[in-house]
Amino acid sequence: MATRTETLPYGVGRFTAGWWLLLAVLAVLVGWGLYAYSRQLAEGLVVTGLRDIGSMAGAAWGLYIAFDIYFVGVSFAGITMAALIRLLRLEELRPVSRMAELLTIVALILAAFSVLPDLGQPVRGIVNLLRYARPQSPFFGTFTLVISGYLFASLVYFYLDGRRDAALLARIPSPLQGFYRLWAAGYRDTPAERERHHRTAFWLAIAIVPLLVTAHSTLGFVFGIQSGRPGWFSTLQAPAFVVMAGVSGIGLLLVIAAVFRHVLGERERLHEGIFRWLGGLLALLVLVYLYFTVAELLTTTYTGHEVEVRLTLALLNGPYAWLFWVSMGALVLALASLVLPYVPSLVPVRVPSFQPAFARAAGLAAAGAGLVLMIYRHSPRLVPVAGAGGPEPEWVGWVLAGLAVVFVLSWFPLFARSVVAAGVAGGLLVNVAAVGKRLLIVVPSQTHGTLLPYGPGSYTPTWVEYSVVAGLFALGTLLYTLFVKVFPIMEVAEER
Amino acid sequence: MPKYAMVIDLDRCMGCRACMEACKVENNTPTAHFWMYVFRFEEGHYPNTHVWFLPRPCMHCDNAPCVKVCPVGARYKREDGLVATDWDRCIGCRYCEVACPYGVNFFNWKDPRKNAYLDWDDADLRPRTDGNSPPYRNPDLDRRYGKEGRRTAGGGRLRGVIEKCTFCVHRVERGLKPACVANCPAFALLFGDLEDPASEVSQVLKRKPSFRLLEELGTEPRVYYVGGHPPHPESKPVEEIVARV
Repeated sequence: MATRTETLPYGVGRFTAGWWLLLAVLAVLVGWGLYAYSRQLAEGLVVTGLRDIGSMAGAAWGLYIAFDIYFVGVSFAGITMAALIRLLRLEELRPVSRMAELLTIVALILAAFSVLPDLGQPVRGIVNLLRYARPQSPFFGTFTLVISGYLFASLVYFYLDGRRDAALLARIPSPLQGFYRLWAAGYRDTPAERERHHRTAFWLAIAIVPLLVTAHSTLGFVFGIQSGRPGWFSTLQAPAFVVMAGVSGIGLLLVIAAVFRHVLGERERLHEGIFRWLGGLLALLVLVYLYFTVAELLTTTYTGHEVEVRLTLALLNGPYAWLFWVSMGALVLALASLVLPYVPSLVPVRVPSFQPAFARAAGLAAAGAGLVLMIYRHSPRLVPVAGAGGPEPEWVGWVLAGLAVVFVLSWFPLFARSVVAAGVAGGLLVNVAAVGKRLLIVVPSQTHGTLLPYGPGSYTPTWVEYSVVAGLFALGTLLYTLFVKVFPIMEVAEER
Repeated sequence: MPKYAMVIDLDRCMGCRACMEACKVENNTPTAHFWMYVFRFEEGHYPNTHVWFLPRPCMHCDNAPCVKVCPVGARYKREDGLVATDWDRCIGCRYCEVACPYGVNFFNWKDPRKNAYLDWDDADLRPRTDGNSPPYRNPDLDRRYGKEGRRTAGGGRLRGVIEKCTFCVHRVERGLKPACVANCPAFALLFGDLEDPASEVSQVLKRKPSFRLLEELGTEPRVYYVGGHPPHPESKPVEEIVARV
C-alpha cells in the first residue's frame, strides 16, 4: 500500500490518448453495426444472404447463429478458469482469473445480442419467450441455462470475487470511490468475512462446473438431435461443442492476457508460467478436437449414406473446402505453435529452427499447390457441377490460406523462444478455426444436407451480416475497454 | 375426432402443377413460396428414360420435428392431425425450418405486400382495381380456427414469420377439400378422414401399397403416396430448383 496510496492500480481512472482513440474507433464500429441492423429492421431479413432451405436453395441460419454459438463457446474460458483456480488451488493462475470472468460475461452478452438479429420478430421474441416458452425445445436450454443461468452465476461470481478489491480501493480518494463503496457493500476484509467469501466462491465454483457442461451441451443438442439434417445429427455434437468452447475460450484468454501483459507492463505478475499452463491446456483440447474431427469424417465417409457422403465431399473438396481446410490448418498450426516452446525441454537437442526463407518457400509451395488444385478443379475438361459455388471466392481463399501459412511458419523461431508469442499465435489461430468450424457446422447441412432431392444450395453473407457481427465484436471490446478503466483487471489484494 | 390424411397417386400425377397454382391463389402466398411443390424427375438413360412427378405438400407429421423444436409453441399439432402455424405467435427464429427434413417451411424474408406477384395499388391498375381489395384476399383466412381459436390460415401475413401448407384449414373446417386436391384435374390428390373406413383415402390405402417420404426418420407423415416409388439417387431432377426472392 505504500506506493499505491494515491493512484489506483493497473491504469484505472487514467485515460490516455491511445485509449480514447481505441474508444472512438470501437464506437464508430458499434454505430455502423447498429446502422446495418436498422436496415434489416426496416427491410426485413431479405437484406441478409439467408434464404429458405429447399426450393429457395439457401440456408435459413447463417452468420448470426454461427457467431452466437461462437460467443457462447468463448464464454467457456472465464468460468472454467475461475472454477479451476478455486477447486484445484492454482494460485499461480490467480492474475488472469478476473480477465477470464469478464470475458465470460462479455461473451454471453454478445451471444444474447447475436440471437436477436436472427429473429424475424425480435420484439415478439423477447415477449413470447417469456409468455409461451416450451422446455421441450432445445432453444429453451439456450435461453435459460446458457444466457440466463450461466450469465447470472458468472455475474454473482464476478461480484463476489471483486468485493475485496473494491473494499481496498474504496479507501483511496478518487472519483470512483462511491462506486467502489457500493461494490464493497460493507465488506471490511476481516478474516471471518474472507473465510465466508472463500467458502461461498468454492461452492459456487462446484455448482458452475456441471452447469458449464450442460449449457454447452444444450447448444450442441440444438443441432445434434435433428435427424432431418445430416451433418448435424450426431452424438458427438454435444461433446464437440464443449471441447470447441474450451478451445476458443482459452485461446482468446491467452490473447487477452498477453495484451494486458504488454499494455500494463506487468511482466512479473502475468508471468510465463501462466502462458505455459494455458498453452498446454489449449494444446490438449485442440488434440481432442482434432480426434473428434477424424472420428466424424471416418464415420460419415465409411458408411456411404448418400447424403452424408455428398455433404462430406462438399466440405473436403467442394464449395466449403477452403473454409474447412483453413480451419483444420489453423488448428494444426496452432497445435504446432503451442507445442514448440516445450520442444527444447522435451528433446535434448537444439530445435532445428526454421529459416524464414525456408518457411516462406514452404508457404509459397502450399499456396502454389492450392492454386494448381483450384485450376484443375475448374479446368474445362471437368463437367461443372451446378451449385458448386463460384470459383472466385475459393481462389481467393486458397491464396490467402497459403500466404497465412507462410506468415505463421516464418514466426516459428520466435515461438520456440517465447512461450507468450506461441500462446498468442495459438490463441488467434484456434479462434480463426473456431469461427470457421461454427460456420461449417451451421451452413453446409442446410445447403447440401437436404434429404429430398432439392439440389445443392448456397449461402453468401451480405454486408449487413458482416457489419452486425463486426459491431458485436466492437461492442464486446468496448465493454472490456471501459471496464478496465473503472476497476482493476487483476487482483490487487495480495499486494498488501 | 377425424384423422385427416392426404393420399397422392403418383400413377395419375402428370406434373401439370395445377395444385401449386391453386395453393398460391387460395392462400395468397408471396413470390417464391411453394407450400405445394411438384418435383419433376427423370430416371434411366437415353433412350430408356422415364419421367415422373412427385407432389410435396407439408407432410403434417404425427411426430413432427418442427413442433418439437418450436420454442414458443407457435407450431403445434391439432387433434385432427393438422400441423398448424400460429402466425400471431411466431417469433421468426426459423428453427422449424432447419428441423424439417422435407423443406416445406417458408419465411417472409421481406414484407409480403412487397413480395406479391401483383402490386394491387399500381398506378396503371388503379382504374381497374378501383379501391377494391384484391380477389385473392380471402376474408376466411383472417379468422381463428380450431378449438384453440388461433390464427393459422393463409399466407402472405407479415414480415419475419414462418408460413407453410395448412392443409387449407379454413376449407377443411367447412367440409371442403384443400385447394390443391379440389383443383387436381387428374384426381391424383385425395384428402379425407382415415378414421372413416368408407372414406376415399381409407379405401385407396386398403387397395394399394403405399409409402411415405423419408419414413426411416420416424416422422410419421400424414401424406401417403401410392402407385410409385420414393425418389432415390437415380432420380435426377429435371430442373434446378432455385426460386429466390
